[in-house]
Amino acid sequence: MKSVFRKCIIAGAALAASIGSAAAQDKVSVAAISGYFAQGFGITIVDGLNKAKSEFGIDLKLVDTGNRALDYEEQFANLAKGGQYDLIFVMGWELVDALTKASEAYPNQRFVFIDGVLDSDKIIYANFAEEQGSFVAGALAGMIENQGSSFDKIGDGKAIGFVGGRDIPVIRNFLGGYEEGSKYAAPDVKVNPVFAGTFDDPAKGSELALALYGQGADIVYNVAGPTGEGVMQASAAADKYSIGVDIDMCGSAPGNVLASMLKRGDIAVYSLIKDEVEGRKITPGTRTFDLAAGGVEVKICDDIAPSIPADVTAKLDEIKKGIADGSIKVTRHK
Amino acid sequence: MNDKLRAFSGQIVAVVIALAIGAVIIMLIDESPTKVFMTLMRGAFGDQAKIAGTLLQTTPILICGIAACIGLRGGMFNVGIEGQLFLGGFAAAWVGFAMPLPPGLHVVVAMTVAVIAGAAWVSIPAFFRTRYGTNEVVSTILSNYVAVLLTSYLTIFLFKRPGGWSETPPILATAYLPELFAFSRLNWGLIIGLALALFVAWFFRSTAKGYSISMVGSAPKFAEYGGIDVKRQGFMVLLASGAVGGLAGGIETLGVHHRFMEGFAPGFGFDGLIAALLANGSPIGTIVTALFFGALRNGSLLLETDTNASREIITVIQALIILSVSAQVLMKRRGDSTAGERRWKF
Repeated sequence: MKSVFRKCIIAGAALAASIGSAAAQDKVSVAAISGYFAQGFGITIVDGLNKAKSEFGIDLKLVDTGNRALDYEEQFANLAKGGQYDLIFVMGWELVDALTKASEAYPNQRFVFIDGVLDSDKIIYANFAEEQGSFVAGALAGMIENQGSSFDKIGDGKAIGFVGGRDIPVIRNFLGGYEEGSKYAAPDVKVNPVFAGTFDDPAKGSELALALYGQGADIVYNVAGPTGEGVMQASAAADKYSIGVDIDMCGSAPGNVLASMLKRGDIAVYSLIKDEVEGRKITPGTRTFDLAAGGVEVKICDDIAPSIPADVTAKLDEIKKGIADGSIKVTRHK
Repeated sequence: MNDKLRAFSGQIVAVVIALAIGAVIIMLIDESPTKVFMTLMRGAFGDQAKIAGTLLQTTPILICGIAACIGLRGGMFNVGIEGQLFLGGFAAAWVGFAMPLPPGLHVVVAMTVAVIAGAAWVSIPAFFRTRYGTNEVVSTILSNYVAVLLTSYLTIFLFKRPGGWSETPPILATAYLPELFAFSRLNWGLIIGLALALFVAWFFRSTAKGYSISMVGSAPKFAEYGGIDVKRQGFMVLLASGAVGGLAGGIETLGVHHRFMEGFAPGFGFDGLIAALLANGSPIGTIVTALFFGALRNGSLLLETDTNASREIITVIQALIILSVSAQVLMKRRGDSTAGERRWKF
């Protein structure tokens, strides 16, 4: 008798718990963890999260990792253990180890890595088609270089440059797209690439960019994180052109920044949360945000835009359309 | 006992003042201090995993603290523990991935190399200190920057694992410092740290060498008059302090991370120095203060996820503790006849 009574209580408690969790399901809960919320690409992610919060009323928790590797695993466990978050967004390669371990320790927790694609098949990846954006950037740079001395600050019109942070696959993907784009739109222009070997040395970035300008390149594409800040400064010092990356960098050297290749973290984060809120549950795998989806885009700086010849603008639009509908194929370099 | 209690009363007052000001700051950001402190406690000691996490955070602070204690006792202010930790960490990882050795021996060799690396790194400022009387505070601080950047260089340009983050290849399993429990990364490093604290305490209390080092620390002129080779001894003290700093790094890479990452453990050297200062340079006292800071650190990680307060509130509390301890030291100096004046005139 007593045990039947106890079973009833347990069943009741289980029912209450399931109702409770069903009620909790109504509101999507999202956490994001990174050490870079205050800079560059991280800011765009926070923008996307805040937009989703104000539009869908989701619960949002931002966790700053700091920079001590010893803390990361504990922080992932603190977030995942309670199971109260539907999605946990992760940004930053130094977190990969802790992320992989957490995704194995908490198999029901869905993690979204917004910084590339890893080996594990238990994680959701937001992948940006950097090669497509870089293709457009390369086409733009090539065509402007082709104008020769008729265009302000352009020299003999023979070469454009590229400064990469480190020689790693993701940066090669930017370079590959840039080279293909330039070749497509301006076959005679040569691309000179260099790698700084570090993402954290603006002085090195500046030095390399000045060397490229000295060798006759008039436009340099910066894909080097904080090292790239030096590239932007060098373009002002040499009075040539630079192209920014990840975020809008037109303000770093007004008049000398041609354009920025934006990686729209905000669009990726927002559309993932939108799917989740509207009942299209996100499952592990890779979600690519390409030119067509607005995940990458080339923004020509406002102060330069009026001086761009109409035929260049028209050709760029044609290229963008071509990439979007698939008639122009851009190789993904791994 | 009463004397000891009095000696530490200042520290207790400092902690209380810091926590009180911390509570005010928490109220200013519209969060309840009780909730924050309860979350801190839960994050530090809430369950066995949390306790293990606290001890895991305590380990590097404790060992760096012991390194600082050795220096403080011998009258040497080693502010370069951070750099010694980085070099020790890198050296241990290098032996771990580059040099296949049988299990057991591998750990011992890697640890020894870490110790040697730490000692070798501090030997440069120590040489200038003993030979030319260069202020060791300045030279050891500066050596930190060089050490951190040197290990970054080695990691990125010479030993980088292909793909991924700026880190070395993983160390071989034979070089792992064994973990104590299945549910945590807590490892033998803690035991090594505790044993080392006890050994250093015993050394200063019960050996002639320890006594002569303390003598040089508290009254160098008197010690020299008494026939102690002050310069030589100062060199050896810095060397020992640096060796322990290197050990701290070796324990982190062999016990926790199993590889070396660029900028892998920022700030532990300084946390250790603070823990040692708060304990008046006593190794046993450092166990307590290191545990206190370890608990604050681990608790703060839960604080970040479960409340609206930032993890950084802990840094604020730590800074407040240092401020109130040093304010007391200054006040004591002023009360104590011409001690301060003499110090400067010298």
